[in-house]
Amino acid sequence: MTSRNSFWASCRENHKRRIWVWIVALILQLLVYGGMTIVYLSRIRGYYEEGTYRTVQAFREAMYQAARDALGFSDNVFPFVIFLGAIIGMQGFSYLYDRRKVDLYHSVPVAKSRRFAAVYVNGLTIYFVSGMVGLLCGMILAGAQGAVNALVLADAGMAFLWNLLLFLVCYHMMILAVMVTGSRFVTVCVFLAFSLFEPCVYEICEAFSLDFYDTYAKSFTDSAPKFSAYYDCITYAGRLKDMTEVGEKAKVAFPIMGRWLLLAAVFLAFTWIAYRRRASEAAGKSIAFSWLKPVLKVAVGIPGALLIGALVYDASHNSETLMAMGIIVSAILLCAALEVLYAFDIRCIIKNLPSTGIVVVGALAIFCTFKWDLTGYDSYIPKQNKVESIAILLDCYYDEYWDENRQYIPADEYIKENMFLTDAEPVLALAQMAQQTDIGDMGQGRTLHVLYRLKSGREKVRRVAVDYNDPQTEAYLNRIFQSDEFQHGIFQMMTDENYCDGLTKIRYSNGPVRATIPAKEAEALRTAWIRDMEQFDFTMAKDVMPCGQITMDYADYSYRQWYVYDTFAETIACLEKNEAFYPAKLNAKDIDYITVTNYHNELMQEDMEIGIEAREAAQAYDVDYTVKETFSDQAQIEQILSASHSTYLVSPWGNYEGTENNYSVEVVFKKDSAYPYDRNAYYFNYEFIKGQVPDFVAEATEYIDIE
Amino acid sequence: MIEIHNLTKCFDQIKAVDEVSVAIREKTVFGLIGTNGAGKSTMLRMIAGVIRPDEGTVAVDNMPVFDNVEAKKRLFFIADEPYFFANANAGTMERYYSGVYEAFDREEFYRYLEKFNLDKNRKISTFSKGMKKQLALLFGICAHTKYILCDETFDGLDPVMRQGIKSIFAKEMEERGLTPVIASHNLRELEDICDHVGLLHRGGVLLSKDLEDMKCNIQKVQCVFASVDDEIKALNGLEILKKEQRGSLSTITVRSGREEVEARLATVDTVFYEVLPLSLEEIFISETEVAGYDIKKLILG
Repeated sequence: MTSRNSFWASCRENHKRRIWVWIVALILQLLVYGGMTIVYLSRIRGYYEEGTYRTVQAFREAMYQAARDALGFSDNVFPFVIFLGAIIGMQGFSYLYDRRKVDLYHSVPVAKSRRFAAVYVNGLTIYFVSGMVGLLCGMILAGAQGAVNALVLADAGMAFLWNLLLFLVCYHMMILAVMVTGSRFVTVCVFLAFSLFEPCVYEICEAFSLDFYDTYAKSFTDSAPKFSAYYDCITYAGRLKDMTEVGEKAKVAFPIMGRWLLLAAVFLAFTWIAYRRRASEAAGKSIAFSWLKPVLKVAVGIPGALLIGALVYDASHNSETLMAMGIIVSAILLCAALEVLYAFDIRCIIKNLPSTGIVVVGALAIFCTFKWDLTGYDSYIPKQNKVESIAILLDCYYDEYWDENRQYIPADEYIKENMFLTDAEPVLALAQMAQQTDIGDMGQGRTLHVLYRLKSGREKVRRVAVDYNDPQTEAYLNRIFQSDEFQHGIFQMMTDENYCDGLTKIRYSNGPVRATIPAKEAEALRTAWIRDMEQFDFTMAKDVMPCGQITMDYADYSYRQWYVYDTFAETIACLEKNEAFYPAKLNAKDIDYITVTNYHNELMQEDMEIGIEAREAAQAYDVDYTVKETFSDQAQIEQILSASHSTYLVSPWGNYEGTENNYSVEVVFKKDSAYPYDRNAYYFNYEFIKGQVPDFVAEATEYIDIE
Repeated sequence: MIEIHNLTKCFDQIKAVDEVSVAIREKTVFGLIGTNGAGKSTMLRMIAGVIRPDEGTVAVDNMPVFDNVEAKKRLFFIADEPYFFANANAGTMERYYSGVYEAFDREEFYRYLEKFNLDKNRKISTFSKGMKKQLALLFGICAHTKYILCDETFDGLDPVMRQGIKSIFAKEMEERGLTPVIASHNLRELEDICDHVGLLHRGGVLLSKDLEDMKCNIQKVQCVFASVDDEIKALNGLEILKKEQRGSLSTITVRSGREEVEARLATVDTVFYEVLPLSLEEIFISETEVAGYDIKKLILG
């Protein structure tokens, strides 16, 4: 039997005051778990009845998946969890807002620490018990339909823990907000400030860096907010939901949950300190600690002003003057709004001007720091003797990278792990040249993202603009491209020893042909290709079109592709040995006809320059300038084929600039041709090589204004 | 005993209580008088351990009270606007109070409830202001704490109820040594209840005295002297607090015992004299006027 004044008696007594929160929590949790289970499983049953699933096993698997979607990780659940954390936290300690309640609770012989513990534990109990009830209800509903297996249980358990920790973070954050404030409205504002502070600061830094730093690059850095559970939820909940392996989920989820636990512990510690120091007379005031008012003013005012400034900058088409004015005006307005909020009195709009001045000056100082690069961000180039190694990512080259579990990983992540250029000189020289070049003159797609790994252990990332047409740049890039360190870092095929795992077949294509090579030839083909790649350099990447592409298909439907060039003798020999090599150049006698489309982008561009109003006045809107012409004459076909290249083989290194984007070419084979083209396709896309559009094509596809 | 030493409390740079030192003896009814804003509620809340003093100490039976459960077990605080849980009735609140006050006497509570005609099943939110105050007082009495702190609790109670509560206080003081501390802005409300009165003004204590002492040491005399010489001779050496003259009738307030005043008047030739009883109000007027304050402005309105 518990004493009338024991801790549990306090808890029980407190529960009586929180009936409505119990009801709200139970309804929400039942809706989230039970409701979603019913909806998801019903949908699968509906599909089954419509005959979507061919086998009972497929239907069963879909039911399991639906149960996992409903009871496991979900990106739909976290707003409910945040809401519950907020209302349970606020309701539990909201007595602190009311002087009459404070008089009662703080005068009775119950220790403040016990009261805190009772209210706190009760809040947790409300979430936990209502969550368990909801989960059990969902489980029973899913179990009754045979949609529960060990995987569903494991997923649901882990997701419940995930949501519980998310709840803890929000719950503690809200209690802290209650402790430092004295009214509901201000509490909600402070809760939002706590919640959004780091993501906002992150976004502001990002926006200002992008707006003002020429060398700012996001690649290679894990610069996401570290202390925002919401950001984590948005980023990871969907990913976790899509993962099939429980172990993989655990690997991703547990470190995040550990971070949340730490975050929750820090918030709880601050909450406890605030609770102990909070004066009872703070009830009804906006902010419980007077010293916090200027701190909050600065902490909210500066990021708020900068955020608005960044929005003005975008809205005003990059006007720095308007941005600065936006910062000043918004800083003053935000400070005035906060003062009114602090005093609940509109007359206080110009109170505490010194702190308003600090906010304005602080925001402007940050603006100036970015605007005039006072930290020397753009001029940073490390000394060669301080560089340990370098990794570079080219924004003109795209490849897909996979981890050991055949999960996709971003290119910068892979390159960071695998590329270690020790010859820093060419990269530093390119960085030096970039500082003397106006990036605006170079156009897009001509930058390197450089990760400097310094001997001190620090890492710096910069964007380096390069001019591909500059001979000196080309020389430096050739030196980089020819190094094994670069090639091994960028071509996964060269280093991945497990590339054969799960390999089902190898294909070779020059565009129209789809030749198959046995999987057992993979190693020979790979070895030949690696040897041929010794001749690969930047000039080749830039100027030479590939003649074909090798594709490796895997059992899990993933694939890898690598390009073959005319000069890759060993690779071509290997392909020929397997009767899979076909030159890129087609024979005109196999072609039935070619359709060329001229889009006349130049005319559309002219229209754009005229402006909308003028176009409307001239009734020139919605004009279709496209001209299509079909060529079936053998001589013409021969000329077109000589001047064009398969779209399938264009663009591995961004040499799309080497083709005419004004035209598209559709090649149609003769039905009776012996050429082994892919019979499933009606036509094959080609593109004209830059500057090689035959005159008769240009003439035939000329736009004639019939009006 | 509740000992208050140099108690100071500021709210936003405004001194609500300024270096107050008072001792509240056991088994007495202590009245705390003061205008609105004089610092009564603040002082009571500090005594109850609700708010922490900026300076000074409050000791309840030699124990500091703030955040001290043992000290708070000896106190029951009735705020000027007592809080009752939403939708609660007397029974709900009784269950709460009997949970936190170990000595809470439930039987006694329901007995008093019946005696005061308060329905235990009726929602407290439907009670009148006076009924809520009665109910709060009953909770305070039945909590069986040594001290009961009442903030403006008696203001607005009808005379019958006041008398009823007063009887209960007297009984509890007699039986278990209850010590009520009653704050009010109305002097007349406390006149028939208090043994000791502390007058608060602008956060400070103007005076703190036993009512009986004050009554015995101040006399009001109406007198017609035979001659001016008689008057000078009679009043010479007496501490005169106030003197009013209407025609030949003098009304004199002096600080002295009744016997001493009568003996002095007997030595001179008077046409008429009478020593009159002083109301608490008159005593306060005299005492505070000496201190340079106009009591009418302070608490009588």
